[in-house]
Amino acid sequence: MQLSHRPSLPDTSTPGPPVPKNTGFTNISAALAVASSALIAAPINAQEAPPSQHQWQFDTALLAYGESGDRVKALEGSIQGVRSDGDDQRLSLMLTFDALTGASATGAVPQRRAQTFTRPSGLGEYTTAAGQTPLDDTFRDTRVQINAGWAAPFGDNSGFEVGAHLSKEYDYLSLGVSGALSHSLDRNNTTLRLGLAGYADSIEPEGQIPLPLAVMPLRSDYPDEEAFIQAFNATRGAAKEHKDTAELQLGITQVINRRTLMLLNYSYAEVSGYQSDPFKLVSRIDAQGRAIAQNYESRPERRRKQALFWQTKMHFGAPVLESAYRFMHDDWGIDSHTLELRLNLMLPSGHTLEPQLRLYHQSAADFYRPYLQQETPTYASADYRLAEMTTYTLGFRYRIPLTGARSASARIAYYVQNPEGPGGPGELAGLNLYPRLEALMLQLGYRF
Amino acid sequence: MTSLTRHPDYWRGHFIAMASDCELLIDPCPESRARALLVAAERRVRAIEQKYSRYREDNLVARLHRAEGKPVAIDGETLSLLTFADHCYRLSDGLFDLTSGVLRRAWRFDGCDRLPSQGEIDALLPLIGWERVRYDDSTLSLPAGMELDFGGIGKEYAVDQVAAELARQAPSLSVLVNFGGDIAISVPRAPERPPWQVGIATPSKPTQASYPLTLRHGALATSGDSQRFLRHGGVRYSHILNPKTGWATRSGPAQVTVAGQSCLQAGLLATLALLHETEAEAFIRAQQVPYWIQP
Repeated sequence: MQLSHRPSLPDTSTPGPPVPKNTGFTNISAALAVASSALIAAPINAQEAPPSQHQWQFDTALLAYGESGDRVKALEGSIQGVRSDGDDQRLSLMLTFDALTGASATGAVPQRRAQTFTRPSGLGEYTTAAGQTPLDDTFRDTRVQINAGWAAPFGDNSGFEVGAHLSKEYDYLSLGVSGALSHSLDRNNTTLRLGLAGYADSIEPEGQIPLPLAVMPLRSDYPDEEAFIQAFNATRGAAKEHKDTAELQLGITQVINRRTLMLLNYSYAEVSGYQSDPFKLVSRIDAQGRAIAQNYESRPERRRKQALFWQTKMHFGAPVLESAYRFMHDDWGIDSHTLELRLNLMLPSGHTLEPQLRLYHQSAADFYRPYLQQETPTYASADYRLAEMTTYTLGFRYRIPLTGARSASARIAYYVQNPEGPGGPGELAGLNLYPRLEALMLQLGYRF
Repeated sequence: MTSLTRHPDYWRGHFIAMASDCELLIDPCPESRARALLVAAERRVRAIEQKYSRYREDNLVARLHRAEGKPVAIDGETLSLLTFADHCYRLSDGLFDLTSGVLRRAWRFDGCDRLPSQGEIDALLPLIGWERVRYDDSTLSLPAGMELDFGGIGKEYAVDQVAAELARQAPSLSVLVNFGGDIAISVPRAPERPPWQVGIATPSKPTQASYPLTLRHGALATSGDSQRFLRHGGVRYSHILNPKTGWATRSGPAQVTVAGQSCLQAGLLATLALLHETEAEAFIRAQQVPYWIQP
């Protein structure tokens, strides 16, 4: 449908850069049509916003998480509201509600025969079938979390933020406060950040806190209920335990060039207090690999963590690549590496598709023991979360821009967890001590 | 000076805004109706011009440039424009960049033949970069020294906004909105009426609409100005500047006209085509939209 056209030849003798050759052009007209109709359909205020105007923006999300087999299922709903105003002051409030059901591994070894365990509360028993990983099926909880934050600028190039956090489960309470200062240099090309945070957690499990490495009493070993209760009570410590965390964060954000933004963060955290999981066990086995007793786990009361986080965001025209690497080291002997890649692609429809890949590896904690034999260390835990493990997450996020700043998104992700460790003697040799875990996540989001 | 004149098959309203002739062709209707639509259109254009012009001292753009890197408040309309500009930046692989206006400090298209030196351009390139613009739902900040220039999409945006506003106010009347050659039709013209006719000026005959086009719906935009260019050593440099190199286009067609669903879409495709210089037609052909090229 062209009226006249005459190809002109590239002219290299004139001042100016050479014209790059490109023949494989992408069709972007549909994406531009979608973007422009979203712009024109957006409601407009005839008057410009006065500087004091407050605006709220809300992000809502619903996440369903399901592990393979009869493991944990979770449903989480969240709503976040951010109110900003012209002076760059920002109030954010977030409410999260989640419900978990299902069973999680207790740490006890599987056996060639059915095993009976006393419930953490001391009330009743549960049985694990032969060859199966012992799971505590009483795992059922709902949690409410509230996060509030306030940020404001001060001086010419500085800002501060303060935050508060509350999380409540049936038997767990976590309270936290945080504060940070930031300062920009070199025409905002560099931003430095110093942050401090403190958390106080308390746990009050049903049946009280078990004593470290105490042997789990079984009803069948006692002549009557009263004798069993007495024995069970002898394994119990305080009704409630506490844990405190202090964290220091140092960060630098640097504009590298017009396509690249880099972020480097260092954090140091010191955790003190009760850090064992009152629901986890370590089996004591004999030379034939038979479990002769179940001990409640025991972890050190102090943990020092250091983490280095490096993130780069690169724009290649329409695609944006975000890569991040995190290294964590703690004095429990865990070193972990996380590599995360997200590639944000804009489709001709104006929608975006974001493949996400996450790789994670950690070494085992020094006191990780898949089982105990003759030895009785001060600390021992068979929690698979402290074992050597590799996890992979592959996900896709699809986002549809609606009018104005509204958008709807959906994300699906597949997660694989592969714990590793030494094999066991005798009958344990043929049993799977480190079961692989798979999970599927589906998330729906709406921003308005 | 706003005028409304009766023609056999339409009303023609005219005023001047955004340094352009702004013309409305309105389906036959009572004169008071036509006048009300013309007033509404003019009010909308002037509001946009007031808000986003870089020649005013009292608007968002001026406040942003005075803020020296500090955030300024934005409203929903500006957020939508920034979101759109971000889409365009990404879709064009950086050829559309709202921060490229600083290049005007080196380039003047006032008929003189002065070409900026590579040194002058190199000094400005660090001030261009859409990624360094930070914005969220209510604030916008720009590193000191950088500029935001809505000029590249302002007129097309005004055309689409006016067409949308007229479609709301008069869903049964077709109105052709033509601001200096950037055109959109509010609602499709009825089959029993002739299609709207527009003339596109060409660089060789700038004062004359040399080729007429007809359309019933959609939008039309032309890029490659017939009068604003720079001639140096026998080479014609257009006023279209490449944000990546800092140079004006100097090869490829002089003018591209594109038909699209919206004036913004058509205008961007036309400008991006010219930025591809000798590859302009290959680019625009890949877009699968009707186009007209003036060599």
